Amino acid sequence: MRKFLAIVGREWRAYFLSPLAYVILAAFLVMNGLIFYAIVSFLNAPNAPKGQALPYLFTNTYFWIFNLFVVPIISMRLFAEERKSGTIEILLTSPVTETEAVLGKFAGALGFFLTLWAPTLLYVWILRSQTPIDLGPVASGYLAILLLGAYFLSVGTFASTLTKNQIVAAILAFGMLIPIFSAGLAQSMVVSPGARDVLGYFNLWDHMDEFARGIVDTRRLVYYLSATALFLFLSVVSLTAKKERP
Amino acid sequence: MIEVQSLTKRFADEAAVSEVTFSVRQGEIVGFLGPNGAGKTTTMRVLTGFLPPTGGAARIAGHDIVKESRQARANLGYLPESAALYPEMRVREYLAYRARLEGVAGSQVGPRVDEAVARCLLEEVAERKVENLSRGYRQRTALAGALVHQPPVLILDEPTVGLDPAQIIKIREMIRSLGRERAVLLSTHILPEVDAVCDRVLIIDRGRIIAEGTPQELRGRMAGSPVVRAAFKGEVPAREAVAGLPGVVAVEQGNGDGETRLRIECAEGSDPAEEIFHLAVARGWILRELSREALSLEDVFVRLTRHESASAEATADPSADSSAEASAKAEAEAKAEAKAEAPVKAEGDS
Repeated sequence: MRKFLAIVGREWRAYFLSPLAYVILAAFLVMNGLIFYAIVSFLNAPNAPKGQALPYLFTNTYFWIFNLFVVPIISMRLFAEERKSGTIEILLTSPVTETEAVLGKFAGALGFFLTLWAPTLLYVWILRSQTPIDLGPVASGYLAILLLGAYFLSVGTFASTLTKNQIVAAILAFGMLIPIFSAGLAQSMVVSPGARDVLGYFNLWDHMDEFARGIVDTRRLVYYLSATALFLFLSVVSLTAKKERP
Repeated sequence: MIEVQSLTKRFADEAAVSEVTFSVRQGEIVGFLGPNGAGKTTTMRVLTGFLPPTGGAARIAGHDIVKESRQARANLGYLPESAALYPEMRVREYLAYRARLEGVAGSQVGPRVDEAVARCLLEEVAERKVENLSRGYRQRTALAGALVHQPPVLILDEPTVGLDPAQIIKIREMIRSLGRERAVLLSTHILPEVDAVCDRVLIIDRGRIIAEGTPQELRGRMAGSPVVRAAFKGEVPAREAVAGLPGVVAVEQGNGDGETRLRIECAEGSDPAEEIFHLAVARGWILRELSREALSLEDVFVRLTRHESASAEATADPSADSSAEASAKAEAEAKAEAKAEAPVKAEGDS
């Protein structure tokens, strides 16, 4: 556990020691600032329904664009950088298992992702001082952020174990996330009810709308958690297999 | 502490290491010597668990490197050839991370880091970022990382690369002091290093161990019959007189600089130096030089790793990297000159 925490701590801090982290952080805050501005403007309209606007923080188009592009950039360095610089040799010859290494790095990246979101809690607090807000949907919205972030980052972690080139790792992750994200969007394009049900299971956009409205569906939890576990498992397998060819 | 039994590592169809067997005891420093691409790094990577072996077995501090990989790894400190570091971290921060990664208890991390910093002479740069350090400091930081958790077994892949002569001497002293209570396996292609640091040498070539022993033993084994050199002032008929001494097999003469120089090959186990001295005194010759010719480790190495076909590249490789070794090789090849001095000279250069 101590070793796992050492890896998590190093990964999380490593983000803040690179300029990239601040670029992402700044872009993220600008984007969410604009969305918040839109939410406030919406609430300022005289006929706005009270307390109904906050879900937009989680369900707008920019939210998806941002996650699809930024998560691969967050995760690309995890293993690719170590493989390139040779520090992977130190990590894998220390008494940690491949699983600990993968989980530690993944948790460090997830920690950074959540740090990006932390300032948005301020928006909730500000809105709450002005208008009544139901905290239930807010909590489920942030739960969705956690689940989605973990899912996407696990895909990115896996991509990063496949190559020693960070850019390639980011592109691979993006290439995997696009079908994962868009499969569900095809739901509205098919007629067969069976196919619609199946695709609905993968419709991330709809899931996020549900979470933002305060609906926590167990099927969604199972999907996100099992998909995350699958990609983390693949990362461990890939890392172990790569030992054959350094 | 390190026991290796018929260890083999293949990449595709090519055997990088084949049937390597050796052991390193506690309190012993073993040098792993070989041309580039001989399999030193691969062997070390297999021992440290970075690469799985294709065949054979090895134990680190009694733990099998495959079945008990984690315990084996917990007992070793490894300095990879790349000496890779995280550039964005500060030296002390990096060492603390390495200590935690190796499982050092929280309260012990600080003292262990201080000790490693002191041992590797890193006090001046302890708070600096790794990316701003010179090559020598980086190398020492990496070395400090390998021993911060004070493991019983140290595996060091070219520990003195990139250091200046003063640092090399300090680091060698440090490795020697570490070797008193630990088992140390270090690889190098700097030959004087082996003489200066190691208790025992393994010479590896094309994935096989081709010689093993103390530096003295290896020299003795390769040297064949001992050779004595003598020089007398002026032109004197020394050749005939010396040839008659007991134990002398052959005498070659070369004159110059107003000297009569002799190269005297002797029967194994005999040393006619004293007789030559008495002879000179009796005849009234002025003796200006009298020395036993020692085979340098360079000679041993070059002889052992010389291949019939690919000899040019194979023996040129180890010397291609640094001028110090290039000069060492030149010395080795120009065998006419005083070989006894070669290790000393080369050490000064490197």
